[in-house]
Amino acid sequence: MNRELKNQMHPILEEMDQSLPEGEIPAGIFNDPEIFELEREQVFGHSWVYIAHESEIPNPGDYVLRYIVDNRFIVVRDEEGQVRALLDICRHRGMQVCRAEMGNASHFRCPYHGWTYRNDGSLIGVPSQKAAYGDRLDKSQIGLEQIRVEAYSGMIFGTLDPEVPPLQEWLGDIRWYLELITRRSPEGLEVIGAPQRWVVDVNWKLASENFVGDSYHTLMTHRSMVELGVAPRDARYAMYGEQIHIPDKGHGSMVIGAPPGAKLPPFWGYPEEMLKRARTSYPTKEQFEVARETRIMLVTVFPNLSIHNPIRSPHHKYQGSVPMLTFRVWNPIGPGKIEIFSWFLVEKDAPEEFKQLSSWSYLRSFGVSGTFEQDDAEIWTRITNGAGTSMGRQHKLNYQMGTHQEPDPDWPGPGVAYPVNFTDVNLRNFYSRWLELMRS
Amino acid sequence: MANQNGIVPEITDFLYREAELLDDGRHREWMDLVTEDVRYQVPIRITKERILGGGVSGVVENMFHMDEDRDSLEMRVERVETGFAWAEEPPSRLRHFITNVRVGEVRETSSGEESDVRSNLLLFRSRWDEPEHVVLSAERRDVLRRVDGEWKLAKRVVILDSATLPTMNISFFF
Repeated sequence: MNRELKNQMHPILEEMDQSLPEGEIPAGIFNDPEIFELEREQVFGHSWVYIAHESEIPNPGDYVLRYIVDNRFIVVRDEEGQVRALLDICRHRGMQVCRAEMGNASHFRCPYHGWTYRNDGSLIGVPSQKAAYGDRLDKSQIGLEQIRVEAYSGMIFGTLDPEVPPLQEWLGDIRWYLELITRRSPEGLEVIGAPQRWVVDVNWKLASENFVGDSYHTLMTHRSMVELGVAPRDARYAMYGEQIHIPDKGHGSMVIGAPPGAKLPPFWGYPEEMLKRARTSYPTKEQFEVARETRIMLVTVFPNLSIHNPIRSPHHKYQGSVPMLTFRVWNPIGPGKIEIFSWFLVEKDAPEEFKQLSSWSYLRSFGVSGTFEQDDAEIWTRITNGAGTSMGRQHKLNYQMGTHQEPDPDWPGPGVAYPVNFTDVNLRNFYSRWLELMRS
Repeated sequence: MANQNGIVPEITDFLYREAELLDDGRHREWMDLVTEDVRYQVPIRITKERILGGGVSGVVENMFHMDEDRDSLEMRVERVETGFAWAEEPPSRLRHFITNVRVGEVRETSSGEESDVRSNLLLFRSRWDEPEHVVLSAERRDVLRRVDGEWKLAKRVVILDSATLPTMNISFFF
């Protein structure tokens, strides 16, 4: 990238520095090659990025291939049970050593010259080592490159920055909200199968911001599902609920209950037996009480992990409610291009029949063919397209909703909570964190 | 085999007719070609090691891009009919190319005569005024059933030839 940029702020960032306090964001940040280059270094080079769930690699040797921006890692549990993220590049001549997206392996052998690594990354085999190198090759110094990996409540994150604070510090108070999902059952969550992966011409921030606090789009973007009676027509549903952001961290969550008078089962509509187990499973009584009143929950962990956990149903005529849970990573692969990884998760100890129904609730509303998510992809694509044009990039987009609102003093959870979801406060907090990293 | 050869033209006619309805966005008429108990699945495909002796690698057994029954297919059709399904508003231009049709022997089942039918699919999709397009390649493994003298789709499993899908969504049928 242009080195001079590092010494002076990019003009779009300068502009955003002025406009963000006023609730305006220059559209240029959503499709600009220089901004993207900066993001790769400043944001994704210094963040904890979600890469896998522990249930995907339960046994020694289990691995999955995962990405942080364009870097490809073998996320593997070694023979001692430690989770590692090994850069999939042979230290000899740079060939990839892993040829499957998931599996179990004790070793990874490079197909070029045969250098072989144990699943902890250490180099243990160099063909004809003595004849080829004499005693000049110190294998202990040239294992597969590894990045820092830390796990929290079953969620595995990696970071390209050796200096970034520990994961728990990075997450901060969003942990309380993540636990509403990860600690619902004593057995914890499991990923079913493999993630859907697909590529969309969208800027990653548009996806992250949507899940961090854009309840306002529901009635129009998802109007088709409103017409079918799957999403409620009453605007109160989109407005209702609590919007919480974690200051200085960029994370945020929407915790949405049932509006007054609405008949919805408690605890997202999860089976009765799961509600019983949740009482002792949650770390605190406050979390249990909030969970019992929750019907829809969304989280974005800065920068690019989003979680959606709504009450839903397998189809429009289904009598009853079947909640679903998805984790997704919006991995940026260009200024206006992401690869989406979308996982379905469910409690390990949920009834088997429920697991099946819940997977249908997920597949038919979210993911690549989801009747909700299809339309998000279409709309974010057209926004990204416009943001890359010579006139569109100069627009200031409006993020001013809810500046007249006051925080909720009675909310039992941490962070700053507003008692309404018609507000962009979480989005402004997300972008303020983004801007801080971009300028540092 | 004589029995089987007799139905090959009927089955290929069925597949071409079906492709025409899907290309033309006549989804209601397409639903008429689907049985009440239909299963329609698009499993996730991942990069995996070669299967010794050959075979289709990397078909994930327990997770899908689509896993449908008649009710959920109807939901998708009704959704597009609302006029607010932005993924198909404006509508994509679709073309289903069906080749390599292989018709299995007819068997008697408790639901009626059925045949396992395999076909290859190339699906072209173009949207807006963009010159770029999406092409998806797949094998379809169908079970066709004769209901009141007419062939209907009782099961379809779509084995995609992509691991990471080059389409922003799946808002159409294979």
